Amino acid sequence: MNQPQNANPAGGTHPPVQRQDMEYICADCGAKNEIKSREPIRCRECGHRIMYKKRTKRMVQFEAR
Amino acid sequence: MTASTSKFDPRKHVGVHAERVSHVSSTNFPGHHPDEDHSWDLERFAKGLTVKIERLSNRSIEFDLVGVDASIANAYRRIMLAEVPTICVERVYVWDNTSVIVDEVLAQRIGLIPLNVDPALMDMKQSPNDQATDRNTLVFRLQVACQRNKNAPKDTTDPNQLYINSDVLSSHLTWIPQGEQEIVLADNPPAPSNPNIVLGKLRPGQEVDMELHAVKGVGKDHAKFCPVATASYRLLPLVILNPENPVPPHLTEKFQKCFSPGVIRVDPQTKAISVDEEKMRNETMSREVYRHPEFEGCVQLARVRDHFLFNVESEGFYPPQRLLPEATAVMRAKIAHIKRAAETLLNNGDGLGDVEMADV
Amino acid sequence: MAETTPKIKIMKGAAADLSAATYQIFDESHTIGNALRWMIMKNPKVEFCGYSVPHPSENLIQVRIQMYDGLSSLNALIEALNNLDAVCETVENKYHASLASNNYERWEEKS
Repeated sequence: MNQPQNANPAGGTHPPVQRQDMEYICADCGAKNEIKSREPIRCRECGHRIMYKKRTKRMVQFEAR
Repeated sequence: MTASTSKFDPRKHVGVHAERVSHVSSTNFPGHHPDEDHSWDLERFAKGLTVKIERLSNRSIEFDLVGVDASIANAYRRIMLAEVPTICVERVYVWDNTSVIVDEVLAQRIGLIPLNVDPALMDMKQSPNDQATDRNTLVFRLQVACQRNKNAPKDTTDPNQLYINSDVLSSHLTWIPQGEQEIVLADNPPAPSNPNIVLGKLRPGQEVDMELHAVKGVGKDHAKFCPVATASYRLLPLVILNPENPVPPHLTEKFQKCFSPGVIRVDPQTKAISVDEEKMRNETMSREVYRHPEFEGCVQLARVRDHFLFNVESEGFYPPQRLLPEATAVMRAKIAHIKRAAETLLNNGDGLGDVEMADV
Repeated sequence: MAETTPKIKIMKGAAADLSAATYQIFDESHTIGNALRWMIMKNPKVEFCGYSVPHPSENLIQVRIQMYDGLSSLNALIEALNNLDAVCETVENKYHASLASNNYERWEEKS
């Protein structure tokens, strides 16, 4: 889970080497879906049409205040 | 009780009347009462001073501080709240948080966890941007993932049985020793002082993965650094019966009910009324007696201006009985700092005239 | 801490012999201000003493001291600081004595 490929510990990022296919999470069943451009947005498992974007794998810094 | 003699000095009474209070300010200053010496005298102060612990538990302390001015009692209270240092999480580095609680809210909650670390073993960062070292920063890891519990009973609806790690608890914080910390903090490994604080809730597939940096700080910077839950004082209540105007025997029960339970004693035979010295401190000062015209002139309510009843509840590292000594240490450090500056001013000024003046 | 700003400054308008002066004490509040004012007022050679926190967002207090007979207010300030330290010491000693006497109610509180 913890592989910040594009991230360095200071929170900055290097530009991605190549565009990867984006993985999305189905809002209904939670299955992972790859969506390519100009493809209908539809879950392969359940047919639901709402997808969530995955959380960034970059480290994010917060002040506990 | 030694204090009872001085307690009935009317000069020390703050009058509590039906709709106002009187004689609030202290008058024991030189020049206030003609032909009386009220100048500072340490010996006299030490003689009149009483510090007595009344009750002590594992979480709180109640003590009496008698014979000091309100400014001193208030200084102790303020220092306990705002200037006794503790250790708390200050920075949160989030790698993953797929729980329903957003990062900043979870980070804020983590900051509020009291930690069991002795602040004396750590240095304070002079500025927030100072380099983190093993002397000024503790590192914790919070890595929790929720799973379905395969062995859960069939018909249960309890999340604790259905899932593994359905709660993110303060006990999930694991300390990662840095540098010399493993040796210095070996006796009492850093951890939350309460392991059962729920920081957030998880469901299968959700997880939290973060690194936490704890630093030393004071309550005036952020309330999470406050070593106490409450630190407060009140003045000793006083119920003064008027011997010239006793309560009529047929009204004694009604009179008794005007006060908190136990404060007024009634002799079952003679119906004579007296005040229970020990229970007097429990009086709520509701002023109920003043509402009944039949008791007019029978009693006077007051508070003792120099008798402070402290109640301090500890939260976090310090045992309750250590809080006043810690506050004293902070106060003396402050005094020493100001004194050093004043003495520099005295020496550099070379006596008169050419002291450096502020451009104001 | 590097003493970039001094802890105490004497404000403009002080008497040349410092018999009347206003001191700015930085990074202090009512905690020290009120206790110090009380202790300075306990000195019979002091004609007047008062303190203020001029603005809540400026972390400083101002202490005004006026002396009788042209005496130095700076000496009165230092004397008061010494006395205040003695107060702390006395209170601390009596507190520890009471703690050691074990003459109080002990109880267990659930958390």
